[in-house]
Amino acid sequence: MCFSLFVNRTAGSRLLLAVGLVVLLNGCAGRLNKASQEYYAGQPREALALLEKGERFSSRNELLFLMEKGLVLHQLGNYRQSTEQLLQAAQLIDQFYFISLSEQATALATNDWLTRYKGEYSERLWVHSYLMMDYLLLGEYDSALVEAKQALKVLGRHQEALKDDYFTRALIALCFANLGEDNDAYLEYSKLARDLPDPAPVARDIVTLAGRLGMPDEVEKYRPYVVGPLAPESSELVLFVANGRIPRKQPGNFVLPPSIRFSFPYYQDQHTLQPWLRVDPPVAGMLAPVSTDMAVVAQSSLEARRVQIIARETARAAAKEALSQSVGKDHGSAAEIAVRLGLFLLEEPDVRCWQTLPGRLTLLRVPLSPGHHDLTLLVNGDTGGEQEIQLPDIELRAGQRVFRSIRL
Amino acid sequence: MKSPWRLSLLLFVVFFLLLAAGCTGRVTTREVSPDEKVIYDEGYHFSDKKTIVADMVKSLLTKYPLDRATDRPVLIVYGIANRTSEHISTSAITDDIRQALLASGRVRFVNETQRENIQHETSYQYGGNVAAETRIARARQVGARYMLSGTLRSMEKDQPRQFRFKKKTLMYYSLNLELTDIQTGLIEWADSAEVIREASKPFIGW
Repeated sequence: MCFSLFVNRTAGSRLLLAVGLVVLLNGCAGRLNKASQEYYAGQPREALALLEKGERFSSRNELLFLMEKGLVLHQLGNYRQSTEQLLQAAQLIDQFYFISLSEQATALATNDWLTRYKGEYSERLWVHSYLMMDYLLLGEYDSALVEAKQALKVLGRHQEALKDDYFTRALIALCFANLGEDNDAYLEYSKLARDLPDPAPVARDIVTLAGRLGMPDEVEKYRPYVVGPLAPESSELVLFVANGRIPRKQPGNFVLPPSIRFSFPYYQDQHTLQPWLRVDPPVAGMLAPVSTDMAVVAQSSLEARRVQIIARETARAAAKEALSQSVGKDHGSAAEIAVRLGLFLLEEPDVRCWQTLPGRLTLLRVPLSPGHHDLTLLVNGDTGGEQEIQLPDIELRAGQRVFRSIRL
Repeated sequence: MKSPWRLSLLLFVVFFLLLAAGCTGRVTTREVSPDEKVIYDEGYHFSDKKTIVADMVKSLLTKYPLDRATDRPVLIVYGIANRTSEHISTSAITDDIRQALLASGRVRFVNETQRENIQHETSYQYGGNVAAETRIARARQVGARYMLSGTLRSMEKDQPRQFRFKKKTLMYYSLNLELTDIQTGLIEWADSAEVIREASKPFIGW
């Protein structure tokens, strides 16, 4: 007779688990967690020092180190070094199409912590999002477009899971528009307009591009969503605003007696509110921001992998059961119990994730006249208070875009 | 009964460890001729640059207007836009094209990237520290007649998803170059060079 129950961990089992994992895994995960703690304590330099400290990290966690380091460097304004780390991360992800049988066999007998962390689909996309931002901030627009195309490939492979990442999709369209690739920019903006709850944030771009491409029906369709007069394309300030922190993966467990334990990771249901952003002095014709709740995309991304996780867990449970029974047959019930206990404790969900990611990314575009601008960003967060951020002096030529990245 | 089995297992482990030890810590190198094609995957390789530069230079020198030019016309390179999905240094392509065209002796180039430095050096020479007779003459720079510009594009096609042990990718690169007469704004020459490559990589292995 089979029945199920959720594991209620006792202090003893927690200790055993901790000891087991410490033996099995090296200190990489600990270093990543400490770096994340420093980062969220407002100490990005200390976080970076931790990530750079000590011996070369294990290949199992190499992707995590590269992603964390890339993002911390972005936060510190070292965009060039950030691209170096994130490009390595992207190259590593490219190699993950290859299935290593030895790695799979190891994971089947133990747990997923022993495999290389391959990144959720959403994290794979965000490597390219941050690379796009880095290159735009460095003024290397050709390279930003290369990353936009790479991001499109990831979006194409995991369309349903990633479709709510409006920020990245708007950034891709912007990379095309920035280099005068009107047709591609139009396509991306119009796909985004169909998926956004309200097409207003991209309506002006669609109307402008459709007008240039000779599509009067599209111009008519989206003109009602354009707020204010349709001025010719001006110069603009583009702000990448990050706030909050992405929820961490949590361990979930499911037990079938006598000793079969299914473990799976899940994201906490924790969301980050979109901040209310204004600039001072006020600017006319500001577009509504495009924003992504990173938790939503991360959750749907993990959900898209659910079948794969269940299949792997089932195979592992079967392998462990066969091993336990075989030991019991050869060496008696005491040995079987010991093996069952060991394998039970060994089963741990892989809760590794990119921890320094924000909870929300927002793209804010501020149209400005050519010349010098001294602006303040006013932010109303979920805590209620207003925050003032002095933006560095902005000098714009006609038709020029300048980019700035802010983490609230 | 179990000892022969244990012995073979021990031997296997020792053999495996020796093999693993032999596989690590050794770096091997070999010289590669610049003319040798070394291709690891479907991506852009240095031999592609060599091929497309050779094709483009040949076309430029054997077609109108440069084939009829007798006065070594002056060109300026305005860069090649990278519209591929890879980080490719297109300035390496323009450097090679410029080098090959200069070597032909049929054209001259304005050094656009050094304009600021030229301006700086000229200002210095006229700043009072340089003897008047050794200063360079002002307003003697040569204006370019033609502008060379272009775009590198790529298209990638993956094999449709199906049960298989290998991943096949088809990659297409095309370099489009054009020569614009700066005085008239007319494109006087345009050509393209293409590289198409299929790569097959295994999905599964040890």
